[in-house]
Amino acid sequence: MSIFNLLRVRIPVLVLCSFIFFTCDDATYDLDNPNDPENMDLEPPALFFHPSEIDTKLDSSFSMQLYGLKLKPAAAAHLDIRYEYGSVQIDSVVADTFFQSLNDPFQIVDDDSSGTLDYFIYLLPDTVAEMNEGGTWSLATVYFTAISTGGSELLFGENTKLRDANNDSVAVKSFGSGFINVE
Amino acid sequence: MSIIRGIIILQFVCFCFASETTKAVSLKTGSQLAILEFEGWAISQPLTEFLTEEFRETVRDLKIFQVQDRGITNKFKIFKPRKRDYWSCWSEECALDLGRKLGVNYVLAGNIQKKGDDEFLIKGRLFSVDMETILNEFAMNSSGITDSLLLEMKKMAYNVSGLPVPDTLSVGSDLSQVATSEDIKQKRQWIQLPPIPSKIKALMMSTALPGSGQIWAERKYPGYGFMGTEATLGTAALIAYLQYDKAWGGFEKTYSDYQKGSDPHELIELRPKIIQYAADTRKYNAFMKNIRSVGLSIWAVNMVHAYLVAPSDDFFDGEYFFDLEYKTDVNQVQFNVNF
Repeated sequence: MSIFNLLRVRIPVLVLCSFIFFTCDDATYDLDNPNDPENMDLEPPALFFHPSEIDTKLDSSFSMQLYGLKLKPAAAAHLDIRYEYGSVQIDSVVADTFFQSLNDPFQIVDDDSSGTLDYFIYLLPDTVAEMNEGGTWSLATVYFTAISTGGSELLFGENTKLRDANNDSVAVKSFGSGFINVE
Repeated sequence: MSIIRGIIILQFVCFCFASETTKAVSLKTGSQLAILEFEGWAISQPLTEFLTEEFRETVRDLKIFQVQDRGITNKFKIFKPRKRDYWSCWSEECALDLGRKLGVNYVLAGNIQKKGDDEFLIKGRLFSVDMETILNEFAMNSSGITDSLLLEMKKMAYNVSGLPVPDTLSVGSDLSQVATSEDIKQKRQWIQLPPIPSKIKALMMSTALPGSGQIWAERKYPGYGFMGTEATLGTAALIAYLQYDKAWGGFEKTYSDYQKGSDPHELIELRPKIIQYAADTRKYNAFMKNIRSVGLSIWAVNMVHAYLVAPSDDFFDGEYFFDLEYKTDVNQVQFNVNF
């Protein structure tokens, strides 16, 4: 058998053998996305503002989400939000997915326009569940309008708490803060 | 009168039909070949008988000629009862006469002459009984032991049959062929490259395709063993590569989504996927690297093995490129280079 015949009839074998030389690059990565809750120095379960920093302009509207990180199952929440009065004003608050069931959640917004927002939100039980499954979800979105230039901080107040369907407290170990920079 | 007229008409009709009828006549020759026993000069009779029979077998195997059986061919002793006087049939007249008596189309006569201590000259003539002429004349030099002589006889069988000498026989061929018939078409002459030693050829083949050198050197089991092992490793590497490619595709997509994403819920779900995909790519890549190490090691062993098991070329010693030789007197392996 000549060389060429030998190669011709064994080309598939040759192709297979060529894969022996195959090596590739190892995957390298940096999980450094600033919006990743793992990069926020929070101890779960936690509540934080998303995004944690906002640059905006005077008289412009913007929004911030009140986010829960790895929360236990809950049925209601009282979110005590502290903001700098005179720097921003709250336009509205909208419930998000955390307390969403087949029914829309029940919510009470109490803004005394002095720098404290008390936001109460309740999950309305349906035929499936009387409280959510917990996790990392947005609880609500707060819409602001910048009314003066400068920086102001957003904080969770001491009255912030979550309750489950049995009215037992749901633990929140840490709270994040937000910052608004108005130009 | 009418009878005579009828006969004339009948004759005329026959003549007309006869003029329109032609008979196809072609010169058709058979392929019966009688190989006369080679005449040995300074060579023992058993050896010439053995070589002649091997030659017959080789020509028979090539299926170009129908080689007459030894027993029938040797009947010419009856026709020409001259003890060990076969050389007389070297002449055209004798060979054609014998061919006719043996009822064959071709006759091949030849002799083997010992020229020196280890040098032989093999001559052969192919006669066509039908055309009453010498068709071809062969002369081949052989140096070395009986195996080399046998090899040359086999080469001559290919030449007699008009077939190219295979690579396994052509290494070191020292063939001079004299065509005496103008009708014989000469084969196309390609540029003749220097002969490649069998060991180097086997080495090169096994370098290109593991095991092929061994198979070429008639060591089929080790050859297929190496080939199968490398193919198995290659298949494993291919499967690992496909898995790697799948994991890499998943990694690239999820990592890209992670870098562009802004929703914490999505980001926190992408994070473990990225870590898993990256771990998978490392795992499969490490597997491929291990296969490569093992595969290349076996490949190297296969190359050395092919070199070792390939036949040594006697003619090659010191005449061409290089030669490795162990000298017992100085207890050294010597590397000789010759151009």
